[in-house]
Amino acid sequence: MKEKQYGMTPGKRFGNGVMSVVLNLIMLLFSLSCIFPLIWMLYSSLKEKRQFNADIIGLPKVPTLSNYIKILTNPDYHMGESLMNSIRTTLVSVFFIVLFGFIVGYFLSRIRFKGSQFVWLMLLMGMLIPVHSLLVPIYVVFNTLGLNDHWYTLMIPYIAFGMPIAVFLTQSFIHEIPTALEEAASIDGCSFSGTLFKIIMPICRPVMVTVAIIQTFACWNEFSFALVLIKNVRLQTVPLAVKQFSGQFGSDYPKIMAALLVTMAPIVIMYFCFSKQIIKGMVAGAVKG
Amino acid sequence: MLSKKPKAGTTFGYLIVPLALYTFAVFIPLLVAVYYSFFEWKGGPNKTFIGLDNYAALLRDSVFWQSFGHNLYLVLLCVIGQVGIAFVFVMVISTRFVKLKGIHRTLGFFPSTISAVAIGYIWMMIYDSRRGILNWFLEAIGHPEKKQVWLNNPALVMTLVAIPLIWQYIGYYMLILLSATSAIDKEILESAELDGANAIQRAVHVILPMVKSTVVVCIVLCVSGNMKAFDNIFVMTEGGPGNASMVMAMYGYKISFAQQNMGYGSAISVGIFVLGMAVIGVMQLISKLFAEKEA
Repeated sequence: MKEKQYGMTPGKRFGNGVMSVVLNLIMLLFSLSCIFPLIWMLYSSLKEKRQFNADIIGLPKVPTLSNYIKILTNPDYHMGESLMNSIRTTLVSVFFIVLFGFIVGYFLSRIRFKGSQFVWLMLLMGMLIPVHSLLVPIYVVFNTLGLNDHWYTLMIPYIAFGMPIAVFLTQSFIHEIPTALEEAASIDGCSFSGTLFKIIMPICRPVMVTVAIIQTFACWNEFSFALVLIKNVRLQTVPLAVKQFSGQFGSDYPKIMAALLVTMAPIVIMYFCFSKQIIKGMVAGAVKG
Repeated sequence: MLSKKPKAGTTFGYLIVPLALYTFAVFIPLLVAVYYSFFEWKGGPNKTFIGLDNYAALLRDSVFWQSFGHNLYLVLLCVIGQVGIAFVFVMVISTRFVKLKGIHRTLGFFPSTISAVAIGYIWMMIYDSRRGILNWFLEAIGHPEKKQVWLNNPALVMTLVAIPLIWQYIGYYMLILLSATSAIDKEILESAELDGANAIQRAVHVILPMVKSTVVVCIVLCVSGNMKAFDNIFVMTEGGPGNASMVMAMYGYKISFAQQNMGYGSAISVGIFVLGMAVIGVMQLISKLFAEKEA
């Protein structure tokens, strides 16, 4: 920095100063816009409806938790249940996406078996298919078979939709691991399954974490399939829980904000605690996928 | 590839569960959609085989084609908005002037981790005519005459629903592009600077060609991501006013569930599938032509 400015004319140094202010301002405005809605909702959710309607932007004069209490204690809203449903659906789905991604990825990368080309093609198709073309038919299939409205209903499509990207990421990761490792293990008398889970799986930890990060956000935030497959309010996930609030009191914004924040909380906390790893995982997933 | 293969039974045993589940959730519904698209079916026990009538209706259905047009408009706006602005921000953030880079990364990426439903509600509250921030802001800067019921304006509504999507994903594409530009050798940029290339020339002639493949990845992600638009439109407008913000997925949903017209809804689903694949195919073709012209 010091050497660069050495020998600059005063005019050029002034130009750089203006440039620096402008560029910093652009980025600051953008970053502020990204965090502003969260902050605005945080303090506005502490207002009574009347106070919010009188002044939408000011800080609360008498902060109150009444919105949160109403939302969390009224059994008609099923907020606690919705959070539990989302947590369960997300955890189970992510677990199986990571596991299946690992297994299928391993076989595709290491073993020449009949139909492997076909499996490739199937998964590739799955990446390209516009997912909303499945919205209506998946409802028809699930409805016919009585699979709608169960605790496991949403896990089926979530695991299936998460699989292609998980397989491709794991496959390309395993491709880089030397096969000598497995050959040695096999000579030492380690079984196929033992090698798979005790030797290869630990090495794949980084890519499995990446897959888990991407899919946690995807499952937690998924809305459209939950919308058509879950009708029972006691089984709804958090995006559906938020939707019910807009219908019941569409104009009570502080209450909607409180609901949004409650449903966003796990994700937001996780994001700000592990933002570095999360960003790294998501970017790696996007570029390689 | 391993020299010593496991038994065929082992391979089968490992793969059958994941692949069966996958087929059940992805391919069976597609086949079912094709099957039901040949029927007049209102969701009840009675269906009538009507051959290709649903498809004939679909080809003449102006709302469906309007929705497809809206999808394309959204994709266009978002490619320019998300990837374009993200690229400009990457250029800005990479200059030595900008401080707090870590904070810009963390905050910029943050909106992309929030559900489209939540984003939809947040922006609905921003656009709200009586209690929204947008109208409050217009009042505050002394332009109360510009205030309006934003989401009721058919001419603006598609752009207004695109803005949250653009805003949400700028940071996402910014970080993908940053990961590519940070791999560029600093000496190349310095020598370009010494040769007298200004910042814009460096961005267009030096950096852009070097991160071209990443830009293509971003555009592919952006197109396929925005062909899927549904959640935030469902929350903000449900396709209205009239059909002014109707997109294909929303239309399929409305026909199938609000009108219980499952047969026609299945035909729309097949239509979404075909058009979605066609858009991806055209995009692949363009990027191939683009790559050949460069070579």
